[in-house]
Amino acid sequence: MKFYKKLLIVSVAVAAISGCKKLDIAPTDRFSDLTFWQVDANVYNALNNNYSLLYNSGLYFDAEALSDNAYSPSGDLNVIASGNATSQTGKFAGDWNNYYSAIKSCNIFLANIDKNSTLPAATKARLVAETRFIRAFEHFNLTKWYGDVPIVDKDISPEEAQTISRSPKAAVVKFVVDELEAIVNDLPSSTNLPANENGRITKGAALALEARVLLYQGDRMADVVTICEKLMNDQGTYGAYGLESSYSALFSDPNVNKNTKESILSLQYVPTLRTWQNFWDFAPRTVGGRVSNMAPTQELVDDYIMLNGKGIKEAGSGYNESNPYVNRDPRLTATIVYDRYTWVNANNTTKTIYIKPGTDPVQPGLDEYSAGSQAASATAYYWRKYYDPSALANFVSGNNLHLIRYAEILLDYAEAKQSLGQMDATVWNKTIGALRQRAGFTDAGALNYPGAADMTNIIRRERRVELAMEGIRPDDIRRWKIAETVMNGYIHGAKFSTDQSTDNGYIRTQLRKFNPNRDYLWAIPAHDVDLNKNLGQNPGYTN
Amino acid sequence: MRSKLLHNLKLKWLYTRPLLALLGLAGVSGAAQAAPIKANTYTTVNRFDKTITGRVTDENNQPLPGVNVSIAGTTIGTTTDVNGRYRLNIPDAYAGRSLTYSFVGYTAQTNTIDGRNEINVSLKPNNTSLNEVVVVGYGTQKRINVTGAVGTISSKNIENKPVLNTFQALQGESPNLIIQQTNLNPGSDVTVNIRGVGTLGDNTPLVVIDGIVGGNLNTLNPNDIASVSVLKDAGSAAIYGSRAANGVILVTTKAGKVNSKPTVSYNGSFGLQDAKVLVHKVDAWDNAYYKNQALINSGLPPAYTPEQIQALKDAGNGTWDIEHLLKKAPLQSHNVSLSGGGQNNSYYVSAGYQDQGSNLIGNGGSGADFGYQKYNLRMNQTSIVGKFRSNIILNYTKTRNKTNSVGDNNIFADANRVPHNYNWKDENGNYLTNPVASQYNEYGVLEKGGYNQADNDEIFGAFNGQLSITKDLKLIGEFGGTIQNNGTFFRRTQVNYLPAGVYGNDLTVLDGNSKSLLTNTKLSTEYTKRINDHSFKIQLGVSSETYSQRGFQLQKTLTDPLLGTPTTGTIVDTQNSNNSIAVNSSSLLSAFGRLNYSYKERYLFEALFREDASSKFAAGNRASFFPSVSAGWIVTQESFMELVKNTLSTLKLRASYGTVGNQNVNNYQYQTTYFNYPNAYGFGNNIVGGAGTNIANRDITWEKAAKLNIGLDAGLFDDKLTATFDYFREVRSNILAPRADVPFIFGAGSPDYNVAKVRNTGWEAAITYNLRGKEVSQSFSINVADNKNTLLKLTGSASETIYNQDVFQLIRRVGEPVTQYYGYQTNGFFQNQQDIDNSPKIAGNNVQPGDLKFKDRNGDGIIDEKDKTVLGNPFPRYTFGFTYRIAYKGFDMSLFIQGVGKRDAFLRGELVEPFHYGYGATVYEHQTDIWSPSNPNARYPILANIGSPSNTNNWRTGSDLYKYDAAYIRLKNVNIGYSFSPNVTRKLGIQRLRLSLIGQNLATLSKLKFIDPETSEFGNNLSPNSASNSARQYPLPVFYGAGLDITF
Repeated sequence: MKFYKKLLIVSVAVAAISGCKKLDIAPTDRFSDLTFWQVDANVYNALNNNYSLLYNSGLYFDAEALSDNAYSPSGDLNVIASGNATSQTGKFAGDWNNYYSAIKSCNIFLANIDKNSTLPAATKARLVAETRFIRAFEHFNLTKWYGDVPIVDKDISPEEAQTISRSPKAAVVKFVVDELEAIVNDLPSSTNLPANENGRITKGAALALEARVLLYQGDRMADVVTICEKLMNDQGTYGAYGLESSYSALFSDPNVNKNTKESILSLQYVPTLRTWQNFWDFAPRTVGGRVSNMAPTQELVDDYIMLNGKGIKEAGSGYNESNPYVNRDPRLTATIVYDRYTWVNANNTTKTIYIKPGTDPVQPGLDEYSAGSQAASATAYYWRKYYDPSALANFVSGNNLHLIRYAEILLDYAEAKQSLGQMDATVWNKTIGALRQRAGFTDAGALNYPGAADMTNIIRRERRVELAMEGIRPDDIRRWKIAETVMNGYIHGAKFSTDQSTDNGYIRTQLRKFNPNRDYLWAIPAHDVDLNKNLGQNPGYTN
Repeated sequence: MRSKLLHNLKLKWLYTRPLLALLGLAGVSGAAQAAPIKANTYTTVNRFDKTITGRVTDENNQPLPGVNVSIAGTTIGTTTDVNGRYRLNIPDAYAGRSLTYSFVGYTAQTNTIDGRNEINVSLKPNNTSLNEVVVVGYGTQKRINVTGAVGTISSKNIENKPVLNTFQALQGESPNLIIQQTNLNPGSDVTVNIRGVGTLGDNTPLVVIDGIVGGNLNTLNPNDIASVSVLKDAGSAAIYGSRAANGVILVTTKAGKVNSKPTVSYNGSFGLQDAKVLVHKVDAWDNAYYKNQALINSGLPPAYTPEQIQALKDAGNGTWDIEHLLKKAPLQSHNVSLSGGGQNNSYYVSAGYQDQGSNLIGNGGSGADFGYQKYNLRMNQTSIVGKFRSNIILNYTKTRNKTNSVGDNNIFADANRVPHNYNWKDENGNYLTNPVASQYNEYGVLEKGGYNQADNDEIFGAFNGQLSITKDLKLIGEFGGTIQNNGTFFRRTQVNYLPAGVYGNDLTVLDGNSKSLLTNTKLSTEYTKRINDHSFKIQLGVSSETYSQRGFQLQKTLTDPLLGTPTTGTIVDTQNSNNSIAVNSSSLLSAFGRLNYSYKERYLFEALFREDASSKFAAGNRASFFPSVSAGWIVTQESFMELVKNTLSTLKLRASYGTVGNQNVNNYQYQTTYFNYPNAYGFGNNIVGGAGTNIANRDITWEKAAKLNIGLDAGLFDDKLTATFDYFREVRSNILAPRADVPFIFGAGSPDYNVAKVRNTGWEAAITYNLRGKEVSQSFSINVADNKNTLLKLTGSASETIYNQDVFQLIRRVGEPVTQYYGYQTNGFFQNQQDIDNSPKIAGNNVQPGDLKFKDRNGDGIIDEKDKTVLGNPFPRYTFGFTYRIAYKGFDMSLFIQGVGKRDAFLRGELVEPFHYGYGATVYEHQTDIWSPSNPNARYPILANIGSPSNTNNWRTGSDLYKYDAAYIRLKNVNIGYSFSPNVTRKLGIQRLRLSLIGQNLATLSKLKFIDPETSEFGNNLSPNSASNSARQYPLPVFYGAGLDITF
């Protein structure tokens, strides 16, 4: 009997162990490799995932603090801007990781889309083209910051990631440009895009990105001119782009922001559903700001010209240092909050912003400059550009962030023409003149072609103020090789220092330094240098 | 054989008869089963020729029910009734023999019958724990026969502690059962591991409650625990196979005893917790002075004029500090239990209520104050029906934990970082804000800003049936499981500040729920045989476990400000609203077995095995076999030890070796899967969803631990002094962790791989000394333990990985402890310009006297990454606990001390760095040991503004400036009681009446003075991705209270 019982137990055991079917458990809330790509909707979802990784609001705004336009007290931005970064700096690894994650998503898409057998070939070609654009955009961003980087044009294994080597910057640029040229024909033009596809990648976006890529190289100006002229002159093929009538509406008016003909590519948001909230830390506290995480510098403020077209330091500008914010480029008011700024709230009521210490009638003055404070701006200035009156509480905004707009094409064109020695009144009127007119200048001194004046400087200054807070400035100071000048020494705030004898009383916000032998390139993250012996490091960084 | 069985049954009936009336009263069903046997009784009565009666009492002359009384060398016996009385019929043939009286916890006594008809016996309690019965995996063993490393904790070490969480009650009670609390807010989870960190993955031990795997010790009422066994080595734990690598905690809950009269007990305690704030800001005017210093040292103009500083002094300090956010909070516990048993059944029913108020003020605007409540109901019923024994346990637990809506971290950070001249409220009760505080006035947030409430329901059930097929063969079936229903309700409400600012204007409401079911089915058989000097026990079994889970949540914003319900303008937050979240399912099929063999009860041998197959791994990698062997030698049983037996009463040597596994990883990782999610992107202002990929590792399989344990148990002076010592060495291979050798270029996170290898060695020792005098009895017990882990392999050929953790770094390096602090080593301060000129520096940074000097470890004249080194080990070493008990007449006292002998802690934040990042605007009293020419050996460098070269050099470079010594010793628990004499209380119908005074966390000695040294930033895997410890913790509450125990 005992034996029988034991036998029974053993047979139960054998049955239980061999009955392993119960152990094949598939998740019920996910697709498997076998089924996923068969479903058309899934293919679109995978494409949308690539779009979601294209860029983000953090990358977009943070870049500004790495230039002479802004100061950020927060960790890595502060460390990089002050010249103290190392190969261990978190942002170097974080951004690198971001870009390669987007590339991974694109490569998985490209490797698998052919598993779908129901989508029409032309549709698939377009989805592939969009994905290749995103992959090219990531590679461009990588090479922009890191120089030579690995080109990852297929879905690689962990082992391949351990051995892949860096391609020279020129090869990366060539890869990006070749990709952009290869996909143009598979993309629609913005004119043919139905409203519910607004924001999808178009022929115009591919050309505009190519223009930016080539402009940044500095030695391809003729190509830049050619591409810009396609966008300016062949609008039937490449999309009907133009300047929006109101500069501030581009960033603040939700309807204009979303539907403007000026947008060539923008990071898409949807109110309440897909949102960004960075402005919470840009706005003055008395109108709902939390802390000042990024503040415009006096150096940026100073580059806004007078209504008469003259720079503030030029003779006859009429600039008054004790009443500095009058008669200035209207884009100053559209961009920066200065002392006694009239803040227009969402409901059209107004609030005067007091940033000068001790001047706010309501004390403690929360917006006033206070040395070493994190809540108040370290330069005394705040931001207005990208303020969204339709945002939810705490600046939860669904407005789009412009990645490339037509104004940039005009500026690219002006710069390329100038560089080729082809600047003239015609080019001026189409570019700088048009932009100033749109900005609200009326004085002929500002609108008319100034002839032989310091044109390079005028174009650069125009580019800086037009595109301020759009993440372009750090690229510009690096490719113009002026970072070693503008990122060295103190960056300043308003003239509120308790010590009026130093730097003429302007707040010394941060001492920066820039090593031209090192800092034009970011460090390859130490993490990857350690794990992939073929990568090597950029000059000047240990490890 | 059949007649013998009948014989036994009839005997039982005879003894049962006097108890029938009582059983009827107790309302349990013993009588029904006894009745049919009655018909046959007369046939056997005559076979006994002699009847012996008697009474068994304890050392206090109180009756002892349930004592086994048997004729020595036979199976004939009985047990005593509630009055300690027994009646045993003795066949004439046995009249010359002896009777043995045995009872758990008491020394067995053997008396010759010697022709007597009445034998009264007084049993003496065991001095030793060596004879106690120890719960081991799937069974019990006498302590003396245990060959593995098993730590035990009895209920007396758990009771009377004012804690809500069983883990807290176990802290320090067993060597190398390491329990750390990362947060002291009521209801917070703890970190538990056995013998330290042995893997890079999850180190959490397996918890088994009443035989059912996967129990929840957070919700178990500590008062319901009868005993806890901690299985530390493979020799004891291998029967749990694939999940035993981290050790096993076996909990047995209280049960009634057969043949015991019903008792009703109440025990309760009530007291107040006082959260001691250890940090103090300098006065507001001093703070302004320090701020000026920082600015001047950074080449910036001062912020305050002397007049302004004087004005601050005239105004005095305000209320903006932690103290004003805290109150004394009540902590109470009430437990009632009813237990008893008849011949054929026993029962234990209990109900508990425990309530721990939070020390933080307010209630978030509505409802009860912040705090944690727990309600327990437990039933344990055993029935014996002939050869069948069944046990049913049912437990229901409800917990509610209400916390603030903003998170403790924010509360303490905001209270800390604002200088003392500001106030939380003005004279009209308005909440104020100021230039330093950002979005929060925490006083307002606590009082009106909403709350986060977790409501968890849990039902645990276990059914256990044992069929004794023969005397030697048992068949055991068990079924049990846990149903959990965890709810979360979060609501943020609006608080307005003056002069401007608002909190909670998004008016968010979130409702979430998750359900899970865990089942566990087991079938096993047990065969015991003794042939002369050889004893065998064989167990074989199979088991199946399944787990499934599913949840949902819904979040809306802009809800009704008063009700939180949807109203005009309310928005569904689709990002945070989802059904089918955390959908999970796993199962495990297993077979297991055990062989015990002993020869002459002196040579012990045990073998365990388990075969597991898990759904977490692909077919082919699924099944694994985990064996262990152990052996013991009771040296004192040998004749050559007789000489020393008066001194060395017990000596046992034991050793074990085996392999066990770990499978604590996420499900489905061997399959590439794609998941759709909402709100990925938008086109034309229309939202679109996205799809992500989970990259698979087809080859994922078990993590394995090969464990060696060598131990000894000794008893001296008639076992008054007992000692246990264990040495262990474990090598964990195939450790499940994300790969550490994949560059970011790969572009995706790594699933878990079987990558790393860790060696963990250590020892533990426990000594108990019982000193029982005529009037005074005392006991001392101390346990000490240590372990040291070494990373043998990280991943592939990668030999180290460095992780940035805020300003400093963590390193995992082959050949060293698994996770360590890493950075620059400080080397005093630059004392003067000449010193600066002659010392190595970080390139390009303009330092000044009073800035930190770093050690140029490679001597190349410059400080850079190559000079970084290991700075400390965050894991506790030399953990210890000490318990002292004394009883004198009615008085008793126990005292419990616990601590950690060695641990490094890196702290950051405003409590460490003056004017932290500009985020903090404060200096603390403990930060004022600042360098100056007259204080050249200060603790801290000169003050400097964020962004200045000095600040960058001193605080942004990650050095041992951030290092603190977190060793501590703590008077954890003191309990002083008085029990009234039973002669007095019995008139009131009370068996036992005890009043007590309870104190907890009364004193702590540590070099780390400004926060609780126990708090750690690490979870249970020393994950280098843990958030750094910013010292913004809920302060340690000191508890003073009183307790009452009554037994009827």
